[in-house]
Amino acid sequence: MHLDVLDQELMCSGHVGCPGCGATIAMRFFLKALGEKTVMVLPACCWSVIAGPYPQSTLKIPVIHSAFETGGATASGVRAALDMRGDKDTTVVTWAGDGGTFDIGFQALSGAVERNEDFIYVCYDNEAYMNTGIQRSSSTPYGAWTTTTPGTDWKRLRKKNIVEALVAHRIPYAATANIAFPEDLVRKARKAKSIKGSKFLHIFASCPTGWRIPSEMSIKIARMAVQTNIFPLYEVEDGVRYTINYKPREYLVREYFKLQGRFRHLTDQDLDAIQEMVNEDWQLLLRKAGEHA
Amino acid sequence: MNREQGRAEALFMPRSFTTTESNLTGSWRYMRPRFEEKTAPCSTACPAGEDIPRIEMLTTQGAFREAWETILMENPFPAVCGRVCFHPCEGSCNRRGFDSAVAIHTMERFLADSALRNGFRSDLGKLQSWKERIAVVGAGPAGLAAASFLARLGYVVHVFESLPEPGGILRWGIPAYRLPPSALQHEIARLAGLGVEIRTDCRIDPSGLEALERDYDAVFLGCGFGKDRPLGIPGEREEGVEDGLAFLSRIRGGASPRLEGVSVVVGGGNSAVDVARTVVRLGGRAVIAYRRRRQDMPAFDEELQMALEEGIELQELLAPAGIERRDGKLAVTFRRMKISGEDADGRGRIVPDGEAKLEIEADRLFTAAGAGVAEDWHRPPQEETGLIKLSHSILVAPEGRPVRAYGGDATNDVQMVVTAVASGKQAALALDVLFREGPAAIRERLAACAVGPGPSLSMEIYTGGPRKLRTRHVVLPEEINTDYFAFEPRITQPRLLVEERSRSFSEIDLKISAGLAIREAGRCFNCGICNGCDNCYLFCPDVSIARGHEGEDRRINYDYCKGCGLCVVECPRNAMTLEGKS
Repeated sequence: MHLDVLDQELMCSGHVGCPGCGATIAMRFFLKALGEKTVMVLPACCWSVIAGPYPQSTLKIPVIHSAFETGGATASGVRAALDMRGDKDTTVVTWAGDGGTFDIGFQALSGAVERNEDFIYVCYDNEAYMNTGIQRSSSTPYGAWTTTTPGTDWKRLRKKNIVEALVAHRIPYAATANIAFPEDLVRKARKAKSIKGSKFLHIFASCPTGWRIPSEMSIKIARMAVQTNIFPLYEVEDGVRYTINYKPREYLVREYFKLQGRFRHLTDQDLDAIQEMVNEDWQLLLRKAGEHA
Repeated sequence: MNREQGRAEALFMPRSFTTTESNLTGSWRYMRPRFEEKTAPCSTACPAGEDIPRIEMLTTQGAFREAWETILMENPFPAVCGRVCFHPCEGSCNRRGFDSAVAIHTMERFLADSALRNGFRSDLGKLQSWKERIAVVGAGPAGLAAASFLARLGYVVHVFESLPEPGGILRWGIPAYRLPPSALQHEIARLAGLGVEIRTDCRIDPSGLEALERDYDAVFLGCGFGKDRPLGIPGEREEGVEDGLAFLSRIRGGASPRLEGVSVVVGGGNSAVDVARTVVRLGGRAVIAYRRRRQDMPAFDEELQMALEEGIELQELLAPAGIERRDGKLAVTFRRMKISGEDADGRGRIVPDGEAKLEIEADRLFTAAGAGVAEDWHRPPQEETGLIKLSHSILVAPEGRPVRAYGGDATNDVQMVVTAVASGKQAALALDVLFREGPAAIRERLAACAVGPGPSLSMEIYTGGPRKLRTRHVVLPEEINTDYFAFEPRITQPRLLVEERSRSFSEIDLKISAGLAIREAGRCFNCGICNGCDNCYLFCPDVSIARGHEGEDRRINYDYCKGCGLCVVECPRNAMTLEGKS
């Protein structure tokens, strides 16, 4: 794989991310694409811990730790401060987990993008509150076990479609990305940087600990999420122009589910129902992109 | 609030001032990844043990000279083998189960052609100089390969050839439409550069052999199968009946007779097909009569298919029974055969189909039903003091007496050009061990330079090159991460039209462009070797794989590596190993 990015590393070794952590891989690609003129706002999430305890820092760029619900608001403030100093080169990024994006930080995010603040909001999505102990979020997919949807009470609600919620704000740029597709991720990060206004990147980042998968399978499984159409790669400009970036071979979703401990309890019938949902979402996306199945 | 107060009451924000690099997270590790190159199935299937994954990798990079030299390291004749080898490498290619095998032989031929066109010179010279002198009898593929490897290992080598030009079957047997003379000439010319002296028109007989044994420290005999086996039927000596190999040799010697009428060719191997196709090119009609069925023929099916397109007729299940000369023509009688059960080699066993017979009227008949040694002394002894029998060669090294080595068709189970090369190579390495360390060390030293489980040997491993670091493990198809490969059709070999090829001896397989070659080489999985794709480096969540500048090796920093194993799984070609995985 050839990745046209900086050789420079803006992320250090010695962080406390779990072995095989997808969120750290996402950060590494993202920073290699954006470069060092970046300020990062970290609301509470796994990365609040990975970024290091005081006085250490995992990242060689300025990082502001903020409260869980304030990712959008803090970034707006940082942008305003930089603007007052006449600094137009520095990119402001909010780097939040799915909890801080889909649930707790949603109002601040919605407010910031409604004002079309000039920043990139990245949600690295590991589909539950992982660092506090694997509690379900509104990003947790249908069928998943978590510590708050245990045993036979596994989650029987669909994952919130966060990209569509952001697209509804008619922001200049919203896109999905995946750690198993670095070229695509890097291109989208650069594109987001080049656009003025609010940009939203939804990065799929596997979690070996919470998903009950072997650490070495972390990329493989993230890739399968795309190959099965569970997590399609696409981008939306100005809330209307859809582009699907990758047309997969369409593996069956059960191939993805059977590799993960969090889905172990699902029956063939459940998997068939999930396949239906995935097919339906994919058809919907194709229609939005003006493509026919 | 004035400015001073504002400053005093400013929110205190602690600022980190050091990195996390003081945490040595390597202590978390219970699995340990490492770089470990392995053996590709093609390279172990290649009797010459060519480093195919590396050849294809270098071709992809456009490093044609280096790729060509990588072939030369193990096989002195890429221009020949790229054309006439039966390429068992492709039969074991891991890509077969994905879409189709890489056209390895096409790449080999392309690299040899590029070397010729661009005048590449090889840096593979003599490694050292020894005093021992070695005589090679027979300048065929086995003898020339032995001479080449012995010269590189540092010996004085003289080759003795009875015919006016060297090459053996390559010069006198294989027709020019498969192997044009120019391709062979350049391969042989390279031997002179290594200091090998070839004496042509120099027939050795048993007393000549004794003389050689007096003058040299060892004699290698690679005399080949120079004569077709007689059919053992009445009428075999009639006028119009000819030995197929002798006929091919006559044509390669410059003869160009008009062969009007029908020629019957008895046999089912490559020689039979070559004879029939030569007949067609000389204006005749050819019928191949074979005892068994098409699927049982030892001839390459692709060659046979082209022969059929050229108008050759194939008659199956016909065993020759007798030849009579009648009214200036040959009346050839065949017994019809049928299949009954199976032979040990898995081919259908043939038995006579009752009394059924068939007579074919022909103008001439060529025998090509298997060949054997031309003279009895070409055959190696089965028992003798100091006899060392190896997979492709035999050494006779009695204490205090001159050493004799046998190779080529006479010691091979499979009589092919590349197996002859393999036997010459094996004998050369064995002689080197014999002279340097004594006979007792031969088996062990040869086993140490086997490619994978063997018996193919590697000169690079023998001489301590980097290839020796690879493990013997042969990469399995399921060990390839096919997520990194897309379906890509195999290159189609461009060829002369059937109308063009049945009229001339011009080479049938045409050259391919560098662009096509690079694309085809890019289909190679490069099983087991690192091609610098950087997946390990890019996917490491702990930034613990260091990568130097262009061409430098990658290293794992075990101070931080948590042993997640991602690098090993995401290595597309199994050039890494995860230790301690349950």
